[in-house]
Order: sequence, then structure tokens, then C-alpha cells
Amino acid sequence: MAFNFNWSPLTADADFYKRARDLLTTALNKSPKPPIIVDDIFVTELNLGSVPPDLEILEIGDLAEDRFRGIFKMCYSGDAFLTLKTRVQANPLNTYLSAKPSFTSPQPLAAASGLTIPLQITLSEIKLKAFIIVVFSKQKGLTLVFRDDPLESLKVSSTFDSIQFVRDYLQRTIEVKLRNLMMDELPSIIHRLSLQLWCPDQIAKEDDRSKEADEHGVNPLATPPLDAVDANGHLLDSAAISELSLDGGPESQSLFSQKNLLRLSSLTSSQVTSSLHTPAIRDVLFRAWAGPSDRADGTNTPPLSTPNLARSSSYIGSAHTYTFSDSSSLTHDSLPSRPSLVSLNSATAGLSLGAGRHNKAGRKKKTRVVNLRRKAGTEVGSEQGDNVSDTASTAAPMSEPIMPHPILEVPEEHLNMPSATNQGKVRFSRPSETLQQPRRPSLRSEALKAPEAQIPSIEVNDVPNVTQKMSEKQSQPIGTQASREPVLADTKSEWRPSRPMSDTSSVILEQAWIMKMAGEIARRVYDEKNRNPAFWDDRDDTPPPAYEARGC
Amino acid sequence: MREFMHYITNAFYGATDWNEDNTYKELNATARELIDFPIPRGLRLTLSSLATPNFATSYQLGSIGIVDGSISYLHSSIPLTSTVAQSDRIPLPALLRSYRRLHDLGSIEGEQSVDKVGDEDTPPVNAPAGVHHALCQNGHTLLYGRLYLPQSLLEGLVVRRFNPSLQVQLSAVSEQSLKNGGTVLGLVQYDKGKYGVEGLASTDGGLLGVRGLYNFGGDAASSAKSPPTSAVSSDANGNGQPVEKERIYGRFSAGGEVYYGTLNKSGGMSLGARFATLPAHRGTPLTATLTINPLMGNINATYAVLAQDYCSLATRMEFNVYSYESEWAVGMELWSNRRPAGFLLGADPSSQNEPDPAPPTRRERSFQAKMEWRLDDPEPEPERAKAGTNAAEGGSKEEYLGVLKARLDQNLRIGLLWEGRVKSLIFSLGTGVDLRRLGEPFRSLGLEVQYSS
Repeated sequence: MAFNFNWSPLTADADFYKRARDLLTTALNKSPKPPIIVDDIFVTELNLGSVPPDLEILEIGDLAEDRFRGIFKMCYSGDAFLTLKTRVQANPLNTYLSAKPSFTSPQPLAAASGLTIPLQITLSEIKLKAFIIVVFSKQKGLTLVFRDDPLESLKVSSTFDSIQFVRDYLQRTIEVKLRNLMMDELPSIIHRLSLQLWCPDQIAKEDDRSKEADEHGVNPLATPPLDAVDANGHLLDSAAISELSLDGGPESQSLFSQKNLLRLSSLTSSQVTSSLHTPAIRDVLFRAWAGPSDRADGTNTPPLSTPNLARSSSYIGSAHTYTFSDSSSLTHDSLPSRPSLVSLNSATAGLSLGAGRHNKAGRKKKTRVVNLRRKAGTEVGSEQGDNVSDTASTAAPMSEPIMPHPILEVPEEHLNMPSATNQGKVRFSRPSETLQQPRRPSLRSEALKAPEAQIPSIEVNDVPNVTQKMSEKQSQPIGTQASREPVLADTKSEWRPSRPMSDTSSVILEQAWIMKMAGEIARRVYDEKNRNPAFWDDRDDTPPPAYEARGC
Repeated sequence: MREFMHYITNAFYGATDWNEDNTYKELNATARELIDFPIPRGLRLTLSSLATPNFATSYQLGSIGIVDGSISYLHSSIPLTSTVAQSDRIPLPALLRSYRRLHDLGSIEGEQSVDKVGDEDTPPVNAPAGVHHALCQNGHTLLYGRLYLPQSLLEGLVVRRFNPSLQVQLSAVSEQSLKNGGTVLGLVQYDKGKYGVEGLASTDGGLLGVRGLYNFGGDAASSAKSPPTSAVSSDANGNGQPVEKERIYGRFSAGGEVYYGTLNKSGGMSLGARFATLPAHRGTPLTATLTINPLMGNINATYAVLAQDYCSLATRMEFNVYSYESEWAVGMELWSNRRPAGFLLGADPSSQNEPDPAPPTRRERSFQAKMEWRLDDPEPEPERAKAGTNAAEGGSKEEYLGVLKARLDQNLRIGLLWEGRVKSLIFSLGTGVDLRRLGEPFRSLGLEVQYSS
């Protein structure tokens, strides 16, 4: 495996420097300037030089044609330079007075008269050393985050080099300012640049969002959720991230492309209304987008299967809109306009039904989609793994508040792969399962009386369709499904009681279930480890530190 | 418009016979006020009262987006009995006029001013010399406090007059956002008439400063100076001009200031000179100043002229010899009584047709103009009107009701301000216009209403 980093194409693009200069100029003038600077700061020259930075790859979390995520150790001591131009107030008395209350001002007559001097500052011999986290996806652009302070040293040469204390002052001030720039502004600048390069259609949306979010330099949670979900699992982590994100739920919606959301919502609504054929085309289209990554994860990084998870996160986004459009509006009128995942998952007790249903919707969709693509490549999966993946994915949102991370992190990533491969069968069994199994009706009868009448009736209408569709597809013989059914029922019966009783004894039950799951998972992990020890050693790495640091 | 408390403070200076202008700080005050007049922003209401001769209150309510306000109290140990504080009678020039005429240098012109005081029936206020001189000016104190409400910023001022030539001011600001929670500025003023020296110290940055002003020529010199001026007038007479028009009679002042911040190791200095015609000058009153900041290479020249009694003009040029940056600004002040074009009729005949009665009247008027900065305007106003126009209807004409101030600087920014009295309210309506951006020319707009009793 080899990487080819091209340093020169950036410099070859004539427009690149102009754009970069403009972005730097706006970034430098955004924060309030000290009174000594009396003019805007202009970036007049910017050259990245010919010496590329030394990159040491520490970890690559995700690799595909259209996305990349990795952690590098970067050392740079190249010949890049940057020239700033501004005007400074040379009269110390003037700057002294500018920040003072006029009432106690000594009111000098002319001693405070200004002398503005054009100042040119050249920053060169920049030495950087840092761990950087690079996240790239074709749709989201490039995100680059410094894990720690990258600036090692730099040389500041200015108009006032002959005056010792001015030079020292400038050196000090600029180092501080540059550190801030590197840590806060540069990620957003690079992100915008990359958006302009790769996905110009995103820029408008990006601008809107940046207007709404009141001038955060960069919201580290704006782009990463995709990635964070990659690293850890599905529902659990997206919930955690959206909890962390500054704007909460509504923001998390804008994390996903609007087009996809529309498609997914039409897909889910079609499932509700039992018209199955219309969105099928769109599904294919959507899958085609994520297609290569599916293959890639299947082959290259099997248990991590991050692209897969990314997809699941997008499902979640759409799924929860769907959930609230029907079940929540029916059941909980108090929360009609809160389509946030956070509210869903944090209010576990009150919304356990909603959560369950929401999750189910997500699963349902996943079934369909994966099914469409994966039909050819289905292999006989172990039933056990199938079950486990089912239960894990359903229970994740519920148990999120109490479940300790170390337990879940390993299983989910691990389990996701089998579920992806076997999903076909399970998914087909699912619609019928909703009918046959008493779980949902019983839940409904307990939690909500009135809407029950409607939804079951819809599902009853669903039956012919589903069965018909199944017969059409004929992907899986009924026999295998039936043989799997008892197992499914088994696991279901295990954790089913926890749903209705979640407000009272859910903790205990879930703990028990978690312990069981953990045992199960540990066993599977052990198996897997034996099979593929090298990978699991890798896997013990901590999740990408950027989010760790910012979030918690 | 001067704030009410500022007006009262000036009244205190007047009552204690402190020449506020005899300091280097006020060297170019005329041009500064003609050009850099503050333009109100937003809406501001002020309710003030000189409740007793010793005590004044002022409440201010403003709104620039957010509502803010201030409460201020003032106590003067000397009764300000002769101060007119009612906004329906308050002399507008004292409140609004920018052109500052020179004050008499108290110690030198002692006898003259005593005479004039006798003439004008304002004994306690302006008695620079005389028997009661020491009695009424020593040991008087002014206390002033102001609290800005939403910011909870507190201003305090103590002025203490120790003896006729020594005055100490202590001003303080307390606010949370300031370093150390506030600053204190101490100011020691020593005024000997011929020269005035000030020393100051501020807790902010440990700033120390000294500034002084020395007067010479004109009335500052001894009476021997008057023959030369008459000689000048005789020269001018040869040009065929009216004698009094051409006789330049004024006072030179020169001074300097030095500051040094002991904590931040920075400093500054400047030198300045001024020539201003004395009130006794019968020609057009003018003031010219030149200040130089040798450290920063800044040269600043101003020229202000009281072209007519109702019209003052000022220009200012700044040039920096190091950075070659220059600035200019012009300012204008136009007084009017009620009729829009009326002031043109009133003043022109007086200046052209009456050279003969002019000398005595000018003299009267000029001294009265000096009085304007103080307290006794209502009485002199009709008197000046009578004397100046030498006509019966003059009294009503000279009753100014408003003033229009305008300025223009090199960035083509125009400041417009109308101030005047309507009923018993004093209005101040101002706007800033930017000619460079004609799309949205009005940069600011403000209205200030003041009522006092």
C-alpha cells in the first residue's frame, strides 16, 4: 500500500493562492483587533514553498475512493512564507488612551496625535510539529484538526526589525496569534477550501449554516459525526455526538445531505403506507453512491467496517424524522416538534416505545437496502451472529445512557460486519416478524391505547405486500427463515420485557441483558481474535482523539 | 451641547473665578469644539435641576438599541445663586457656543475687571481682584458623582480650590471591566495668570504628566505693550482700512506637555502656540494655533474665526512629517433667531455702517462675551443687543433660538447638528452623513432633549 501526496499541484493552481489569501484575510480580521492595529490585516503574499511536510502515518481509520480518515504525525520545516500588511499606531500614548474611560483621561492636547505606520510582517521558517487528524470525504470536504499546538518556532521579520523591543513584542504577539489561528481558524479555512474544490454545491449550505451558528470558528462536531460514528458504532455514537453538538438535534439533521434525507424519508414513508415499488429506484440510486465503499469495507477493513456504519448513521438521521412523523406525533403530543435524536435517547424511560420503534424503522430500512444490493453475495451466516447483531442494534439506543462504553464499543464494531453480510435473511424475516410476533401489539396496548387501532391496521394491510414481495424476491427459502425464527424469538423474549418496564426496572433488566450480551460478545471477540489476531491488536486504539478532547 | 453638569461645573469655576481656559489642555479648544462637536446618537432625555444653589441633580435616559441611563449629583460649597439653570431661560450661547473668547488674565488686569464688574452688576461671580477676591474663592469644593446604570460605571469628581492660584481635581472611574477595577486621575492646577502649570498623575499605567502654558504679548504684557499695537494700527491705517478693523490686538500663548508612563515605559510630548485676539480687539476675533508633536512628527494647525457674531468658522490641518499623512477638516457654526433669514438682516448693518460707535460697544460686548461663558448672560444679552445694533428692535433680534453646526473632513463625512430651544426644552438633533457612500448616507442619527429647572 502506498500513498502519493502531491504537494506541488496546490501551488500550480493559480487560483488557489488567491482564494487562500482571501480566506486568511477574512479570518485574520474576524476577531477584534488590539487598538495598536488601526487598519485591516491583509495577506499580501502566501507561498507554501516547495518543501512538503514530512508525514508519518500513525493510523488510518478509513480508506476508500471517496473518503479517508487518518492520523498523521507531521513535521514541517519548509520554505513556506506568509506576508501580512497592516498599519499600526506608533504612538503609545494614543493606544494607551484608546481603551481608557474618557472621564479620567489626562486629555493630552497633541501628545496623543497618531502616527500610523504601514507594517509588513513576513513569517518564514515556520517549523511545525503536530499530530493531525485528517478526515476527508467527497461530500463533506476535508477536515483537518490539530491535536495539539503545532507551532514549534517561526521567524518574524518586520519593518521594525531594527528596534529590539518592537521585534520581540511582534514575535511574541504573532506566535500567540498564530497558535490561535492554527488551532481554531485553519481547520475551517481548509474545510472551506476543500468544499470549493470538491463539492461546490455544498458551499451554499455551509454558508447558511455558518450564518446560523453564530461565528464559531469551526464547529468540530459539524463534520465529524460521520466519522465518529465510523469509529465506534451506529446509533449509540451518533446520539452521543448529536448530544455533544452545539445545536443538538436539529443540527444533526443538517449533517446529512438533504437529498439523501428526502430519499430516505420517502423510502420510509413508503414502507409505512405500504407502497413499496416507488422508492425502489431511489434506493438503488442511493446504494450506488455508497456502493464502492461497501465493497471496500467488505474486503479491506472487515471488522471496522466504517463506511457501513456511516451509512447506518445516515439511516438514523432519516429514520428519526420518520419516527417522529408518525409514532411520536401520535403518542407524545408534548414533543411534536423535536426531531432530535438526543431527546429520543436521553428520555429513555418516557420514550422507550418511540425509541424502539424508531430503531426498528432504521432496521427495517437497512434491511431493504442491503437486501437489494447484497442478494447476490449472500452467504450462509451464522444464526447466532445474526441474532446478536439484531439485538445489539435494537437495544443500543435504549441502553445508551447506562451502558458503559467499553462493553459496547467492541461488540458493535465487531458485530456490524456479520450483520451487514447476513442482513438479507434477517431483513426478510422482519416484516413478517412484526406481524407474527406479539411484541409490538403488546407494547402498544400498554403504552398507547388510541393509536393502536390505526397502526396495526396498516400493518395488516402490509401483510400481503410484504409476503408478496418476499415471494417475488425468493431470495431466501422459507425454511431457513423458519429455522431462524425460534432463535429470534428466543432473544426477543429475553429482552422484550425490558421495554414496557423500562421506567421502573429497566436498569436491572438491561444490566442483566448487557451482561449476557457482553459475555456473548466477549466470546465472539475471542473467537474473532483467534482468527485474526493482528487486527484486534490494532483495534484497541482509542477513538480519534480530536473528538474526545473537544466533546467530553 | 454641553451637558448640564458640565455647565454647572463651569458655573462653579466662574463663581470661584477660576480661569478654566488658562491651561495648555484648552489651547485649541475653540477649533476643537467647532469641528469635533459631538453628535448625539439615538434618543437621549435629560432631566436636570439645580435644586438649591448648592445642589444639582441630573437624570439621563438614553436608547441606542438598549436602554441605558445615568444618575448624577453635584454639590458645590459655593452657592451658584446667579446661575440660570432653567432650560427656558438658560443662555444658549453659554450652553452651545463653541468659539471661546479669551478671558482676562486675572492677576494682571485686576483693576480693569473690577471696573467692568462694577459696570455690569455681577459682583460675586467675576471678581478676579478686589477685597472679596480671597474671600469667595478659597476653600471651595465641588463634588460630583455619576452612576451609569446598566454598566454600573461610577464616575466621581472632586474639585478643591485651595487658594486663588491653586486648584486640585481628583477624578475617578470605577468599573468592573477596567484593570484594577477603576482608575484615578489627580490633577494639580496652578494658575498665575501669566502662566498656568498643571501636573497630573494617573493610576492607569502610572502615567505622570506636566503641562504648562505661558502667555505673552497683548494684555499679558505690561501696559507698555499698548503703544506698539497702536503703531500697528497706524500702519494699517495707511492702507485706507478702518482703523479698528486692522488693529491686531491679541495675546500669544505658548506651552508644552510631557507625559511618561512609569509602568509601561512609554511617553509623549507636544509643543503648542496660540495667537488669539483679545476681547478688546475691534476687528474680527480670531484664534490660530499650532501644535507640534516632535516625537511623532505631527503638525497640527487650526484657525478659527468669529466671522460675525452669528457665524464662526474653523479649519484644521494636520500633517505628519514621518508618514506623510495629512488631514483637514472644516467646521462652521451658524446662529439664528427664529426667522430663517433674519440673522442676515440683523447683523450686517451694524458691522458696516457704524464704525464710530463701534469701539465702545465692542468693548462692552466683548467683555460681555467673556461673561457668556459664565453665568450672567440674561442681563448682558439685551444690553449687548442694544449696544451692538444700536437699534430698538435689536433686543428681539439678538435673542438666538438655535444654532446649526456643521463639519466636513477629508473623508467627505459631514456632521450636522442643530441645537436650539423649543418652548422650554433644549433640543439637539444631529446626523452624520457620509458622502462617499451615497447609497446609505446617514451613518448616525440622534436626538437629545434636555429639560432643566
